[in-house]
Amino acid sequence: MSRKLVIDPVTRIEGHGKVTVNLDDDGNIVDARLHVVEFRGFEKFVQGHPFWEAPMLMQRICGICFVSHHLCGAKALDDMIGVGAKSGIGVTRTAEKVRRLGHYAQMLQSHATAYFYLVVPEMMFGMDAAPEQRNLLGLIEADPALMRRVIMLRKWGQEVIKTVFGRRMHGISSVPGGVDKNLSRAECDRLLNGEEGLPSIDEIIDYAQDGLRLFYEFHEKNRSAVDGFANVPALNMSLVDAEGNVDYYHGMLRIVDGDKNVVREFDYHDYLDHFSEAVEEWTYMKFPFLKDLGRDEGSVRVGPLGRMNVTKSLSTPRAQEALERFHAYTGGAANNMTLHTNWARTIEVLHAAELIEELLRDPDLQNEDLVVTPAPGAWVGEGVGVVEAPRGTLLHHYRAGVEGDITFANLIVATTHNNQVLNRTVRSVAEDYLVGRGDITEAMMNAIEVGIRAFDPCLSCATHAFGQMPLIVTVRDPAGKVINERVRSVTGS
Amino acid sequence: MTLDDFDDDCCLIYGIGNAGRQDDGLGWAFVDWLQAEGLCSNAEMHKNYQLLLEDAELISNKDRVLFIDATKNASVESFTLERAAPKMDFSFTSHAISIPAIMATCQQCFDCLPVVHVLAIRGFEFELEIGLTPAAQRNLANATAYLSSPRS
Repeated sequence: MSRKLVIDPVTRIEGHGKVTVNLDDDGNIVDARLHVVEFRGFEKFVQGHPFWEAPMLMQRICGICFVSHHLCGAKALDDMIGVGAKSGIGVTRTAEKVRRLGHYAQMLQSHATAYFYLVVPEMMFGMDAAPEQRNLLGLIEADPALMRRVIMLRKWGQEVIKTVFGRRMHGISSVPGGVDKNLSRAECDRLLNGEEGLPSIDEIIDYAQDGLRLFYEFHEKNRSAVDGFANVPALNMSLVDAEGNVDYYHGMLRIVDGDKNVVREFDYHDYLDHFSEAVEEWTYMKFPFLKDLGRDEGSVRVGPLGRMNVTKSLSTPRAQEALERFHAYTGGAANNMTLHTNWARTIEVLHAAELIEELLRDPDLQNEDLVVTPAPGAWVGEGVGVVEAPRGTLLHHYRAGVEGDITFANLIVATTHNNQVLNRTVRSVAEDYLVGRGDITEAMMNAIEVGIRAFDPCLSCATHAFGQMPLIVTVRDPAGKVINERVRSVTGS
Repeated sequence: MTLDDFDDDCCLIYGIGNAGRQDDGLGWAFVDWLQAEGLCSNAEMHKNYQLLLEDAELISNKDRVLFIDATKNASVESFTLERAAPKMDFSFTSHAISIPAIMATCQQCFDCLPVVHVLAIRGFEFELEIGLTPAAQRNLANATAYLSSPRS
């Protein structure tokens, strides 16, 4: 008799997921799947709204990476009014730097949440530890001094976000063609120098290195376990600048293989020429892949590990030093070790802190040229925005009618890009931990969750295809008998 | 306890909720009422969707804290006002953490603990809609009247 193991819900990830591992009579894994069983519908209900509302509405997808959605939508709007990257005009240097500042603060804060709040408890206590210990509050009890630094790191990140966007969550700064506010010298100095209850940038850069220190210590003691956990080959994708280095805000999309050969590089406006999306009846999350390579060969990994595999170098000194150690570990080949995603994440925390310091010292933030006004007749009515969100490459694509009402929206969020690799990871972990063992222990269950959590997946962001996804609505009478059922297929029939 | 006890800059008044979710907006509505009436004008006031771990640092700078939140607890007839105690209840997700856990974190990481009260106001509907239900509005009015009344 075959057995089915179900882990539902997967804890400590955003949104809700379900994992199913199907075993045969001999205990061998037949299949392992990550089901995403919630949906949001943002692509559908944004239709009919004025185009300029999109960055405000779309950021409500998430309470963690709202800045990424806001900026990605803003870049698409720049295109729509005829001043975006596609037009060759572009927003002002001031506007771009203000946006970048908010973006880097989001990167720092989101990564700090994922790493310190969700991953470090596992590193510190081990996957076998009792769940009531193996969580953030257990960590606070075990190392309050460390957690005080983490809290202040997050608080500082929130203050940067609040300074740029007006609020610590779901604020607004970007408008079509630019931003609505610059930063005063006093605002920048406050963040650089700190004040009572607010760390200085020097302290922040020190705190930002806590993550690396923790990872190095953990890795040193658990090298084989870390390196051998879910080693999953995949292509890697990131936005890059002209030198082939990661650019979290803008650039070309570059995809590299296991030897870091560039297999594709293109303008993200042309994404539909390169990517297709597969659907499965057992999950609401789609599977993007490079059309010409097919789903098995052409699925990509995005996010910290993907970015650190793609980038040749990093633009700040401490982060570059950390990257060199990271690259050296795999001797120049791409790093496919799932738990090294956490290593890559800590490098990006440091990189973000250093980038923020550069911008806070940049007098361009005090300039007054905030918005580019489009020329008459410049309206394009279609736009694509891409940024490197903390979890990976995020894409917004909108079209609007002549009245400016949105008629089409397509989002590909990082977790969706990672879907195929996530499923491979689940299977890899399941094969290592579950095959041939009698009991299903908490640690075995958690091993699958650890694999998923390394991607910091935002399942609530990744499920937004209302109107296109398979949907079954069942009506039951009080006795539980089905009295009506309506099934919509993936084609919408 | 009355509102006069919170009219000081060493006090924090913190409404938790979401005004776009009907009665989940009770916490914010209480803060809005204070500001509209000009009450507790010396206190620091906040409105947020949910508590974050960083709020442990926020309350560490205060002597007295009043959290206001909606409750679905059917045993609450209108509202309750209770003193909270720190407890690591392991309720944490990146989207939510309990008041006792925030207090425990404050105690552990910042070596201090303010006096914390929780005003829980009974709500009834929590769907995607702006505006309190009439029943929730009555409960809000009961709570504001109670806290406004001078007591010996």
